[in-house]
Amino acid sequence: MVRIIEVGGLSYRYNEDQPWVLRDLSFSVNKGEWLAIIGHNGSGKSTLAKCLNGLILPQKGTVHIGGFDTKNEKTIWDVRRMVGMVFQNPDNQFVGATVRDDVAFGMENNGIPREEMIRRLPEALRFVKMEQFAGSEPHRLSGGQKQRVAIAGIIALQPLIVILDEATSMLDPEGRRDMIRTMRYLNRERRLTVLSITHDLSEAVYADRMIVMNQGEIVREGTPRDIFQSPEFLEKIGLDLPFAVKLGHVLYEKGVPLTDAALSQEELVNELWTLRSNM
Amino acid sequence: MDITFEHVTHVYNPRTPFERLALDDVNLFIPSGSYTSIIGHTGSGKSTLVQHINGLLKPSKGRVTAGKITIDANEKKPNLKALREKVGFVFQYPEHQLFEETIIKDVCFGPMNFGVPAAEATTRAEESLRLVGLPSSYWHRSPFDLSGGQMRRVAIAGVLAVHPEVIILDEPTAGLDPQGKREILHLFDKLHKNFNLTLIMVTHNMGDAALYSDQVIVMAGGRPVMADKPEKVFAREEELRKIGLDVPETMMFLDKLTAKFGAGQISPVFTIQETADTVIRLLNGGLENV
Repeated sequence: MVRIIEVGGLSYRYNEDQPWVLRDLSFSVNKGEWLAIIGHNGSGKSTLAKCLNGLILPQKGTVHIGGFDTKNEKTIWDVRRMVGMVFQNPDNQFVGATVRDDVAFGMENNGIPREEMIRRLPEALRFVKMEQFAGSEPHRLSGGQKQRVAIAGIIALQPLIVILDEATSMLDPEGRRDMIRTMRYLNRERRLTVLSITHDLSEAVYADRMIVMNQGEIVREGTPRDIFQSPEFLEKIGLDLPFAVKLGHVLYEKGVPLTDAALSQEELVNELWTLRSNM
Repeated sequence: MDITFEHVTHVYNPRTPFERLALDDVNLFIPSGSYTSIIGHTGSGKSTLVQHINGLLKPSKGRVTAGKITIDANEKKPNLKALREKVGFVFQYPEHQLFEETIIKDVCFGPMNFGVPAAEATTRAEESLRLVGLPSSYWHRSPFDLSGGQMRRVAIAGVLAVHPEVIILDEPTAGLDPQGKREILHLFDKLHKNFNLTLIMVTHNMGDAALYSDQVIVMAGGRPVMADKPEKVFAREEELRKIGLDVPETMMFLDKLTAKFGAGQISPVFTIQETADTVIRLLNGGLENV
């Protein structure tokens, strides 16, 4: 397995007289993996994201992306080409007058030849199912559609890693479902490495692995199934369990002999069905 | 104070190529002291609707009455300042509107803008900050050093300090983490119960609408298509689905379970505890006892 992100002893603070926002973080991400980084607002998640594409540099420790140290000025643009980022607010990420222009902007900025741009553009839009909106003005799109265009802009640059920083938190429920579907497709079909930074645990259910952050430190690491075994802990640090997990715990407390830790509603329905068949 | 919509129509950019009908002959009644949630798809007219209540928008046709003040399409706008003192508006991401050097000054700005003397404004600001649960050790700090959830509470304190009778909340929990969400919703629940404030909340979260409000208004295509108690509205699942709306997660789950078990439709439940009890009844008693 190729380690595409390696973080060692990373610490960061915005000001010398302020507390550390990130404290001695160490973790790695494998190529093709989906890692969810979860924590409440102010836990240091977004600062970490900015460290991963060299927008800010570690004050202690190191960050390596695809083998390149983000502190090395000579390779910083190689790092940024490898890492695409989608931010929280869909309205802050548009520069083009149309969807097509907007996706082209990033490629143009990266010096991609015109013929290549013409080839990649429809492919990127098809990928996020926005090809019929190529000529639309961005402000006429819904929040979820805007975020998908932001992803298309990134896909067109052919990165290895996509970081989604609270990319669903400003969307309505439908927009959120849309984005999660797109993320799963990116990761499962396209084998892109996905880092989703979120406080929504129902989004993190689909990740291969989760890192839980609190006050700038990694406090838990494991598969979603492992992490959801300690509901009290997650609630204590300001997070909310997915509905199926919460209901599963309440049912168990009320004496329903559930064994599996169901993460999704479908899993819980199936488990209850099996239980009833054996009663 | 009661709020009434009579045949209200609103057209954006009339007589231009961008003309758009946002509200279409709306009739509504929101009683004083109620907690009303407004749900609907993006573009269904929710925001346009609530912006009529404090006179940010004027009807193209019809009239809106809030307490003793009436805004009629065919008449000159009444004294909007008096209306806006009574009807507070917490916009989406209200923390973006903070601007003062200190938290206390920011909260004083609202009442002073309505002519409340400085000393009285300060007293009100302190009361409001206590209500939203921001400790006094913070009051003389800059609002910009606070976390997102805290900043939002300061912005809400600014609206409370004006002493409104009605508060309109446009997606009050958007972008907050789960704990921040819970805190804000509990705060408004408390304000509603303790001070008999009339609350009107625009939300995408069906669970919140079901749990907190006593009336749910469903908007679609610029019209209120339902206006009733939450348990009545969310029992009309098929109709909600047709206009692209969900039911609360509790009901979504029970639907999946009853479909699997071959049971009939279950009356709406909104809390995890009630859902668990329903599941247990389904497991034990089969279908008859649900």
